[in-house]
Amino acid sequence: MSKVAVLTNDLQYDLVNKNQERIDAVTEATPSFSAFLKDMRERGHHVVHLQLINKPDDPVAERYEGGRLPAQKGTQGAEILPVFLDETDILVEKNKDSGFYETDLHDRLQALGVETVIVTGMQGQICVQTTAADAFFRGYNVWVPSDCVVSAREHDKVRALDWLDGYCATVAPSEEIVRILDTDGDLPRKVFRTP
Amino acid sequence: MPTATTSFLDQQIVLDHGTGARLSRELVEFVVEVLADVYLGEMEDSAILPPLDGALAMTTDSFVVDPPFFGNGDIGKIAVCGTVNDLAVAGAQPRYLTLAMILESGLPLAQLHRALESVRDTAREAGIKIVAGDTKVVGAGEADGIFLNTTGVGVFTSPPKRMKDVTVGDKILLSGPIGDHTIHLLSVREGLGFESNVLSDCAPLNGMIDAVRGAVPESAVRSMRDVTRGGLNAVLHEYASAVGHALRVEEEALPISFETAMAADMLGINPINCANEGCLALFVAPEHADDVLRTLRAHPYGKGAVVIGEVTERPDPVVELTGKDGRVSEVEELQGAELPRLC
Repeated sequence: MSKVAVLTNDLQYDLVNKNQERIDAVTEATPSFSAFLKDMRERGHHVVHLQLINKPDDPVAERYEGGRLPAQKGTQGAEILPVFLDETDILVEKNKDSGFYETDLHDRLQALGVETVIVTGMQGQICVQTTAADAFFRGYNVWVPSDCVVSAREHDKVRALDWLDGYCATVAPSEEIVRILDTDGDLPRKVFRTP
Repeated sequence: MPTATTSFLDQQIVLDHGTGARLSRELVEFVVEVLADVYLGEMEDSAILPPLDGALAMTTDSFVVDPPFFGNGDIGKIAVCGTVNDLAVAGAQPRYLTLAMILESGLPLAQLHRALESVRDTAREAGIKIVAGDTKVVGAGEADGIFLNTTGVGVFTSPPKRMKDVTVGDKILLSGPIGDHTIHLLSVREGLGFESNVLSDCAPLNGMIDAVRGAVPESAVRSMRDVTRGGLNAVLHEYASAVGHALRVEEEALPISFETAMAADMLGINPINCANEGCLALFVAPEHADDVLRTLRAHPYGKGAVVIGEVTERPDPVVELTGKDGRVSEVEELQGAELPRLC
């Protein structure tokens, strides 16, 4: 059985509370999302929270109204929402969209013997996509639970899941992922045929 | 006694590097030392050059790149490649280059050193000499680290290549993949995860162009363009307008890597609109297309060369795309830049 890690993206106060659409989308996803994380922990798998930390000197980091830079290191706004967090979880700081970009995520996953990553979080477009693509390029078996991916706009989520399914990941409901793990002990790797 | 290079590397650009006094002189000495043999100037106010045997080509370009350092290149390499390629596609042999730099106060000299090494190495590869230069320093926040301008002079040893020489039936060739440069830069800028798998194509193309011109009759290659800002779409529309006929390209034939297609699809941009820095479009007489293709593919920068379409008889200055399903549609010319979809 290959080791599995669940990667979450950007489940942080500042980022979730950016607007009502995001709050609503996270609220709707929270029951199944937090239950999935709990199920995975109970089965001995790792949960890694990718925590976006915006650097004040990053010219492309998005600023909110009034020029405020959200999710700065050490602020409450950068913290992970407690409903998704457990004391056994691992936190990895990232400064860009992909959780692998200039972080030690790959090294830490390798040290844990992880071969399969389950990519989740907010937003489905870009952050989940780029982390999944980066994992795919690094040779990981990539899965995405469709009900643990959040976008402020539903059509962004649908498009992101289609893209993930087409290029680099197996997309399935979280219940099905848990069921496959329980019955088969592993998540099969989907073959993507590049032209 | 440290050399000019080693004594500068730990420092940063300050306003006094641009005042014309001692620090300015030391900066110029540093630049000259790094450029080494590719710098031909004599530190006079003008370069004094021998006459060239033939008509002259001259072009200029300014370079602002974000980020200034990336995979397979940097602003120094682009600044040489951009101007060398503009000379070479016109049919000229690149000979001389000027190098002007606008430096932001606070720029680490180590970064300038790195960019200058790229200028030197790329100029060596392209066989072009730097004959004059200029440095200006602006305050912090008044520029983005380093801006470069290069002006190039080339000589025509054979007739210039012009758009008006393209005619109905000519084949359209590309020397390699499109979109990689833009996807790479966006990925480095935003941390998208594609930066290690998709590198910039930045390259001086004059050597490959020489190889092609040596392999076929002079009239075989009607005209050439380096596919830079505006992407393939802009080049095709430019030629369609100049020729007055529709250009038809095959979607299936467009050289787009899996990773670039993947990233472009995610970002909601089309690789045909993406800037490149080492991709050549050639308009070739049909009877010589195979020979040109073979020669391109034998060159390190042309391994991915393909025929993508042809100039049709339709007397309208439009670009047609034959889709993978066989349906033909017209490609719209962009009004401005395509905006990537980001969070």
